[in-house]
Amino acid sequence: MKAVTRAWLSRGRLALLLPLALLPLACDSSAGSGSDADSITLYTCVSDESVQPIIEQFEADSGAEVNLFRAPTGDLNARIAGDLRSGGLKADVVWACDPLTMQGYVDQDLVGGWTPDNATDIPKQFRTEDYVGVAVLYVVGIYRNGEPPPTSWSDLTGPDYNSVALPDPTVAASALGALGWFDQNPEYGLDFYATLQENGAEQVSTPDDVVTGVAQGVYQAGITIANSAYLAKDAGSPIGVVWPEPGAVAVYGPIALANDSADSTVAQDFITYVVSESGQQVLGEAGSYPTLPGVEGPEVPADAPVVYPDWPTITEDKDALLADYQKIFGG
Amino acid sequence: MPSRSAGLGRRSGVLAVGVVIALLVVFPVIRLGYVVWTEGSGHLDEVFSEPALAEAVANTLLLAVAVTVVAVPLGAAVALGLRRTDVPGRRWWRFSMLLPVLVPQFVLGYSWTQAYARAGFTDTVFGLPWPSVLGPWGVWAVLVVNTVPLTYLLTAVGLATRAEPDLERAARASGAGAVAVLRDVTLPLLRPSIAAASVLSFVLTLESFAIPQVMGTPAGFSTVTTTIYRDLSLGSDPLSFVEAITLALLLVAITVIVVVPTDLWLGPRLRVNRVADSAGAPVVNPRGAGGRWIAAGLGAYLLVGVVVPLVALVTTAVTPAVGVSPTPANWTLDNFSAVINSRTADALGRSALLALIAATLLTVLGGCLAVLERGRAGRAMASLVTITLVLPGSTLAVALLIAYGRWIGGTLTLILLAYLAKLWAFAHRPISGALDRLPPGELQAARASGAGSLTAVRTVALRPLAPALVAAWLVCFVTALHEVTMSSLLYGPGSETLAVVVLNSAELGRVGLTAALSVLLTLVMLVPALPAWLLIRWLRSPRRAGDAAPVGRLSHAG
Repeated sequence: MKAVTRAWLSRGRLALLLPLALLPLACDSSAGSGSDADSITLYTCVSDESVQPIIEQFEADSGAEVNLFRAPTGDLNARIAGDLRSGGLKADVVWACDPLTMQGYVDQDLVGGWTPDNATDIPKQFRTEDYVGVAVLYVVGIYRNGEPPPTSWSDLTGPDYNSVALPDPTVAASALGALGWFDQNPEYGLDFYATLQENGAEQVSTPDDVVTGVAQGVYQAGITIANSAYLAKDAGSPIGVVWPEPGAVAVYGPIALANDSADSTVAQDFITYVVSESGQQVLGEAGSYPTLPGVEGPEVPADAPVVYPDWPTITEDKDALLADYQKIFGG
Repeated sequence: MPSRSAGLGRRSGVLAVGVVIALLVVFPVIRLGYVVWTEGSGHLDEVFSEPALAEAVANTLLLAVAVTVVAVPLGAAVALGLRRTDVPGRRWWRFSMLLPVLVPQFVLGYSWTQAYARAGFTDTVFGLPWPSVLGPWGVWAVLVVNTVPLTYLLTAVGLATRAEPDLERAARASGAGAVAVLRDVTLPLLRPSIAAASVLSFVLTLESFAIPQVMGTPAGFSTVTTTIYRDLSLGSDPLSFVEAITLALLLVAITVIVVVPTDLWLGPRLRVNRVADSAGAPVVNPRGAGGRWIAAGLGAYLLVGVVVPLVALVTTAVTPAVGVSPTPANWTLDNFSAVINSRTADALGRSALLALIAATLLTVLGGCLAVLERGRAGRAMASLVTITLVLPGSTLAVALLIAYGRWIGGTLTLILLAYLAKLWAFAHRPISGALDRLPPGELQAARASGAGSLTAVRTVALRPLAPALVAAWLVCFVTALHEVTMSSLLYGPGSETLAVVVLNSAELGRVGLTAALSVLLTLVMLVPALPAWLLIRWLRSPRRAGDAAPVGRLSHAG
C-alpha cells in the first residue's frame, strides 16, 4: 500500500504542473513506435500471469525488448481490425487463445507461413504449417463436494444431475471447442446438449462462472476449464475436478509470426523460445498447461484421458453449429 | 446590442470549437462510415436481417425508455426533497446521492450479482435471493440506481438556477397548496432541466455496456452494445468487424433521432434572460414529518443500491475462495496483496494524470460549447457532441485508432483524445444548464460600470458558474479515471491505465481478486471526490454568495 501512496504523491506533484505534464505525453508518442531493431511487439490474449514471466525470461536471456499488448480475444480482434486500417498490423508476434481466432488471422494473410524448427517437438494435433500451439486449455468436469463425481461425459446426462452448468460457446472459445468435439463424436452429437437441457442444465457465460456457480452450490456439476477449476479448488472451494471419459477436450493456444515481420530474428527467436523446453517450463510454472510432452504444468491426474477436436471442421461449420446449438440453449 | 467585434469573436470561437469537433468526432466517425461503405456493401442486408439484431435493438430501446421514465422522476423528486431544511443530514445526503456514480459501472453491476443473485450475500445471510438480478430486471434496476444521481444533479442545478422562490412564495401567499405550487410553478420552470436529464438518461442507457454485459449476457439478455462486443469477440474475420461497426452506427442513428429534435426544442428554452439569483437553491419551509420520510427513502435507496452490494463485494474480496463461508475466521487480505504491486501503482499514477488533464481540458471545452450554444451553429455542435457520447467505447476507440493510429497509436495522447471525444457531453451539459443564470445584460452592466473585460468575466461569470464548472470537472475526472473499454483497446507499451491493469488481472478468473481490485478502484474514486465536493460546498456557501450579491444588484440597475 505504501508504494501506491508514494506513486500517488509523486505523480500528483507532477500533475500540478499541467503544461509541463503534457510534455511527457508528447515524448511518449515518439517512443511508442518501437522502431528499435531489438524490440518486438506481442499481441496476445493469454493471461498476464502466464505471459509476464516468459517475457521477463526472454528479455533477460536475449537482451531484446518485448512490448506487450494483452487483451481479451474480442478486444484483440478490434485492435487488429483498427491496425489494419491505419497502416497495418503493429504486432510482430501474435499469441492467440484458440486455433479458430488464429486461423482467421491466417486467412487474412496477417500471420503464418513460418514455424520454428523445434515446432516438430510439439504433438501434431497442436500445430499447422502456419502456427504452433504452446499452451493448452483442458475442458473438464467439476462437481460440488457431496455430489457423485461423474466419470464420463455421458454421466452428466444421467439421473444423478438435474442442475449442470455449462459455458457459452459464443463467449468462450474453449466451450466452442468442446461443442465441436461433441458434435463430431457420433456417440454424443448435439443430442448430448439436448439431453442436458431437458435434464435442467443451464448455460452461464464463462468457464469461470461455471466454477463460481458450482462452488456456491447453485449447480451440482459443470463443464469448465481445468486451470480455473484447480485454482478455485486449491484456494479452498468445495469442488472436485474430473477428467471424464473418453477425455478432457484439449483446446490449444497457438503462436504465430506476423507476415510483415518475416525477417525479424528477434520475433523468430521469441517464438522459438516459447516453444523450447525452457520456455515451456516457465509457462508451466506460471500455471498454464504446456504442449511440449514431458514438461510439467498444473495438476493432471495420472493417465488422464484427453481428446482433440478437429479444428478445420469447426472453422468451417462454426456458424451452422452455433445456430443449431442455440436452438437448444437459447441465444 | 452586441458590437461587431463581439460577433467576430463569436465567429472565431465557433470556428475553433468546430475544428476541435471535426478532429475529435466528425472525421473519425466518417472514417468508420467509409469502412462500412467500402467493405460492407453487399453484406449489409445480411447484417440487418439477423433476428437476434432486431431483438437486441428492441431490448435496448425498451431499456432506455424504462430507465428514463423511472430515473428522471426519481432524480427530480430527490432534488425537490433535498430543498427542505427539515431533512436530517441534508448536506450529507447531497454528497452521498453521488455515491452510485463514483462506483465504476462494472463494479456496481458485479457487486449487485454478488449481493442479490442465488448464493449471493442476501441468500447466504437472510435466505433471500433475487434470482432475476441476472437478466433484464437486474440490468434495469442497476441502470436506474446508476442514473438517478445524474438526473438528480441536473435537476438540482436547474432548481438552483431556474426556480423562482419569489414566485413560489407568491403562489403560497395567494393560497395555493404545496401540490399546486409544484405543479403550476416549480415543475414548469424545471421543464428544460428535466428534458435535458431525460435526454442524458436515455442516451447513457443506449450506450451502457458494462452493466448489461455483466448482468444481462449470462441470462441471454442482449443489447446493441453487448451484441457489438460479441461480434468482435467471435471470430476474427473482417465481416464481423464490419457488422460491429454497422451496429454502432445504428446506435448513432437512433440517438440522432432522439437528440436532435430535443435539442431543437430545448435550445431556445435554455436562453432565458432573467435576473441572476446568487442565493443558490431556494429553501422550502418544512411542514410535518416529511423530512424524515425523505431521509428514510434516500437511506433505503442507498442501502439497497450501493451499500449492500458494496458490503457483498468486500466480503467476496476477503474470502479466500468461492464457496468458503464468509465468516471472520476465514477472512484474508491475500487478494489485496496480490493486486497491489508496482504495476498497479504506475498505472494508477498514469490514470490520475490522464484524468486530470482530460477533466481540465474537458471543462474548458464544455464551457466553450455552452457559451456558443446560444447560436444555431453552437447548438448543432452541441448535438454532435451528445451523439459522440452514445458511440460505444469500443467503436469510438477503433474509429480513433483508424483515424490517427498511424501516428500516435499506443500512446497516452490517443487515449486522451478518446476521453475528450467521449466525455465532452458530460462536461458540456451541466455547464450549459448553469449558464442560464447569466443574462447577457450583467456582463454589459459590469463593463459599463468600469470593469475591465477580464474582471467582468471573473466577477460576473465565473462566480455563479463555479459550482457547475467544478461539478463538470469532477464528473469528467471520475469517469476518465475508471474508463475501461477505450483504454484497454488503445493502450500500448508504457501507457496502461489503471482500468487496463484491473481488467487484465480480473481475467485471471479468480472472483476474490476481481472483488479486491473493484474495492480498490472504488476507493480510488473516493479520494479525489471528497476534496472536490468540499470545494463545491465552499463555493456555494452563503459567505461567498453574499460576496457576489452586489453584482446581482448591479444587473437590476442595468
